[in-house]
Amino acid sequence: MFEPVDDVIERIARHLRRPVRIDPALDGRVMREITALPTPGGATALGKAWGWLTRPHQLTLTPLGGLTVAAALAVVVLLSRMDSSAPGPPAPPQAESRAFQFVLVAPRATHISLVGDFNDWDAARTPMRRAGSEALWTAVVPLAPGRYHYAFLVDGSRWLADPSAPVARDEDYGEPSSVLTVGGGGS
Amino acid sequence: MTSALTRTALPLLAAMLVAGGAAAQQTDPRLERVDAATRPTVAALVDSARAALLPTEPLIQRALEGATKRASGDVIVAAVRRLAVDLGHARDALGSTTSPAELTAGAAALHAGASPTILAQLRQTRREPLTMPLAVLADLVASGVPVDSAAAAVLALAGRARDADLVEFRRAVERDIALGAPPAAATAAAATAADLRVNAGARQQRPGRP
Repeated sequence: MFEPVDDVIERIARHLRRPVRIDPALDGRVMREITALPTPGGATALGKAWGWLTRPHQLTLTPLGGLTVAAALAVVVLLSRMDSSAPGPPAPPQAESRAFQFVLVAPRATHISLVGDFNDWDAARTPMRRAGSEALWTAVVPLAPGRYHYAFLVDGSRWLADPSAPVARDEDYGEPSSVLTVGGGGS
Repeated sequence: MTSALTRTALPLLAAMLVAGGAAAQQTDPRLERVDAATRPTVAALVDSARAALLPTEPLIQRALEGATKRASGDVIVAAVRRLAVDLGHARDALGSTTSPAELTAGAAALHAGASPTILAQLRQTRREPLTMPLAVLADLVASGVPVDSAAAAVLALAGRARDADLVEFRRAVERDIALGAPPAAATAAAATAADLRVNAGARQQRPGRP
């Protein structure tokens, strides 16, 4: 009626040792099922992107690839540092800048510009304004310590040096300029 | 992944290197105001100065000054080149750690007639920035003071005088010259007065003395 225990175990073991045949398409079906499952962030593109960003990824690099990436990063850093000294408009006045008022008495002028190496010698940048009387023209410019050349351009064509400032000797351009030296603290 | 990265990264690196080189050679957009025939020469001078680690902003400003004053291209190039040479000489005399403001003032002093030796002596004399002493030296010479007199006075004051003292000294000289004093005599007198003032200020600031 009952088989001996050893026989039963032997039959079970024979059954378990038998190779299992798995459907070759199983992997594909399983992966399709997994892909079809709803993701925690939702099925939107944003959710998928978030899932991709928060999921760990493995990146393998050859030494050559690693060196290439490192070199590319070095170039980016170098370029960003070059940009800081690259050509471009002058940096805005720094914290140690102080405001300087330029004054000119010119009763017959209709328009006066202050030009100098603090505003790229650009006549459009610092127009002077009449202050109080009709004859008095003023402009205020913040300046960091340094030595500056400047002049007044009257009515777009006539150059005037500042009569109250040292004259800049200029045998190159001929037109007169003045000098303003802004010192550090205490000047 | 590896081969794909190599295929992607190498061309990317090459492109970045090319872009970097192009950026380094990019002409300052402000130089558009200089006429087209002159611009490449000025840009080359600016690039040379940058390669020599000299400040380039004074050169660009010199070119822009010429453009605003409607100087000819040859004159602009000559002015920029001369300033670049003076900046280089100033750096040689003052040292490689000199600030751009000091170099600009040093170039002005050299252009006015001061010798590189005077600049080097000023560097040894004064620990504070040299912008103001160098500028005062250049301004005095421009006012007609003989270089030797101006240099001797500035060197005597530079060790202890503040920037404000140097400005006051220069104003005193210019005032006396305007009133008719010979420039050398005006400088000597103002230097003596400034020295007395500086010494008095130093005595007042000395702590622990009655």
